[in-house]
Amino acid sequence: MSDGREERKEQEERRRWEEERKNPDRHQDERDRDWEREGERERLDSLAADAEVRAESGRRTRRSFLVAAAAAAGGYGFYRWIDRSPGDQLIPRPLRKTLDFNAKVARGVFDERGLAPTYPVSKSMELRTNGNYGLKMDLVPESYRLQIVGVENATRFPQYVDDVTAWEYKYAVKKEPGPVEHDTKVAPKNEAKVDPNSDAGAGEGPMMQGGPASTMFGGSGEKKEETKLPPAFEKALADLKKSQGNKRPRGQEEAGMSDNTLDPGTPGLLLTMDDVTTLPHHELVTEFKCIEGWSQVVHWGGYRLADLIAKYPPARGADGSLPKYVYMETPDGDYYCGFSLQACKHPQSLLATEMAGRPLTQWHGAPIRLHMPIKYGYKQIKRIGLIAYTDMQPDDYWTKLGYDWYAGL
Amino acid sequence: MGAQMPEDPENPMDGSGPVEPVRPIVEPSAEGVEAVTEALPVAKKAVAADVVSVGPAPVPVLAPAPVMVATEPEARVPAAATIRLEKKHPLAIRWMHWVNFPVLFTMIWSGLLIYWNDSDNAYQHPHAVYRVGVGSLTLARMFPPWFWKAINAPYRVTEGLGYHFFFMWLFAINGILYVSYLLISGEWRVLVPERTSVQDAIQVTLVDLHLRKGLPPQKKYNGAQRIAYSAVILMGLGSLVTGLSIYKPTQVHWITSLLGGYEMARWEHFWLTMGFCAFFVVHVVQVALAGWNNFRSMVSGYEIVRATKATLEEERSAR
Repeated sequence: MSDGREERKEQEERRRWEEERKNPDRHQDERDRDWEREGERERLDSLAADAEVRAESGRRTRRSFLVAAAAAAGGYGFYRWIDRSPGDQLIPRPLRKTLDFNAKVARGVFDERGLAPTYPVSKSMELRTNGNYGLKMDLVPESYRLQIVGVENATRFPQYVDDVTAWEYKYAVKKEPGPVEHDTKVAPKNEAKVDPNSDAGAGEGPMMQGGPASTMFGGSGEKKEETKLPPAFEKALADLKKSQGNKRPRGQEEAGMSDNTLDPGTPGLLLTMDDVTTLPHHELVTEFKCIEGWSQVVHWGGYRLADLIAKYPPARGADGSLPKYVYMETPDGDYYCGFSLQACKHPQSLLATEMAGRPLTQWHGAPIRLHMPIKYGYKQIKRIGLIAYTDMQPDDYWTKLGYDWYAGL
Repeated sequence: MGAQMPEDPENPMDGSGPVEPVRPIVEPSAEGVEAVTEALPVAKKAVAADVVSVGPAPVPVLAPAPVMVATEPEARVPAAATIRLEKKHPLAIRWMHWVNFPVLFTMIWSGLLIYWNDSDNAYQHPHAVYRVGVGSLTLARMFPPWFWKAINAPYRVTEGLGYHFFFMWLFAINGILYVSYLLISGEWRVLVPERTSVQDAIQVTLVDLHLRKGLPPQKKYNGAQRIAYSAVILMGLGSLVTGLSIYKPTQVHWITSLLGGYEMARWEHFWLTMGFCAFFVVHVVQVALAGWNNFRSMVSGYEIVRATKATLEEERSAR
């Protein structure tokens, strides 16, 4: 094959072609005619043989298309199986299982040890507000305590109480409406659009009227119909509320109540802001990434979660092992997140008290929110009321609505 | 890009029609045989002999015939077919090609469900990444609201994420198998562009647009096909790499940084997808133009070609 003949033939062919290109019509036509004449000569002789070739082709074609049809049916069946599988936290089970599998692979390969790139402060910008679950009203700062549950030898700390759930947070109607949402990169458009969060949590926006709270989860945006309950039922509800000390019911948002909400009588620590702010202060400029698809470089200031964990370490199990998970929720229990203990010990996981060089605003989660660049934004919970060590994978607000629990970046 | 067929080997003789009419009509009678032998004195001796052997009664007239037949075979070579079956696409290539089609479709569809989430929405945050524009000048943003409505994308993000992160495995595994097969089997030789491919591709494109005549000589693929098919494989690799850099931008931040950062990686991922869509449109049009013989070969593996055409095996084996 590798002798010069082949190459010469090719060159000849190419030369002929290039020549033809200069005189396209004449040569092309000649060649066509030649072949037709040749064909005519062989025509009668070869018909039977040609028919045999065609028959062979037909046999192969039929067989192949049968296999192809079976494969296509199988593929469609596979898709239907996924699509029709019973749901696991709002997505078909095979998809949920794959998300969990992907998390396992990611943990195995990366071990959550990578450090997020940092940027100069000049590149940072004000973070969008997006989602106000657990932030509907202002929290009275003096009433803030950080509950910590599952601490080793908790009774040795002066902040120990027998029942952390008995602590009463005080709320106030918002003094400031907060930023009306607009794009930070291009000028807002003139035509007014319905902005689900334009009330900044004052409770007057379309979201509070039953519209979608965020694009992160569906909702048709239609008004919910107000159902009038029978008087006897209403009375029973009022009695129940009274028996619970007239406290606001927990888990009032779309995903409902968390399975990990503490039972009354849970002992733990009640930390004041001073307990947190005495930890070493850190600043970070990282890129915040929302699963919606947008990202912003943000300047954060605060305290390492790892330092807090070191100061208030988790209680070990009977076999001397550390609990695997950490659970956090807002004081009203409306928003909640679960993490691995390792993710919380990541050096860039920050209990943020400042953003863009200023104290955190209420609508960004004052007094303390989480900054965790190894996770999507929906894990970076605002207004942390509780940090609990646990051995079971904790509930997570957006996981309940179909998102990945791991959410690792 | 579909195969460019300068001639149609399945119908080498225009209007040859079905086989039957040209076959001599023979009847098992003495007159019939005689007529045939006279009409086709040289070529059809064998037919006459056949008829005799199966005929209902031996006829004295034909007594000398066996002698003639006995002497003929040396002079008469059995008729050769003017066409043959060329094994064009190996089984593995065909499977991986067709598996890739629904998988890539699912990736694009689920990607759109995800991407809707960052479209210009009620938040008045027009997405910063997926647009046509330079600097602060934006010509267009993808896509208009009617498009999202038409594909039923709104509020199906979790579904999109679930499918995207399921089918990414199939896309990656299929792609890796495909490239491995190309390398191991030597099939890459018919696919990778050659020295003359660019020039050929320009010519092929001009011919396709009816601006010029005369296709360059081609083997399995012409220059345009070589470039397009190789490019689409590289695009697949690009989608995997940009996808990973978006999926784990902290853990693989060095890749993300090499790609120009997180937003840039998203931009690249998006435009690669647009590239797949463009490839798909051109590919399907070209396949439709190239015809059934070419399309069938992607399913059955075989194409009907002129018997005199050089075999592809030479191209596949190393020069």
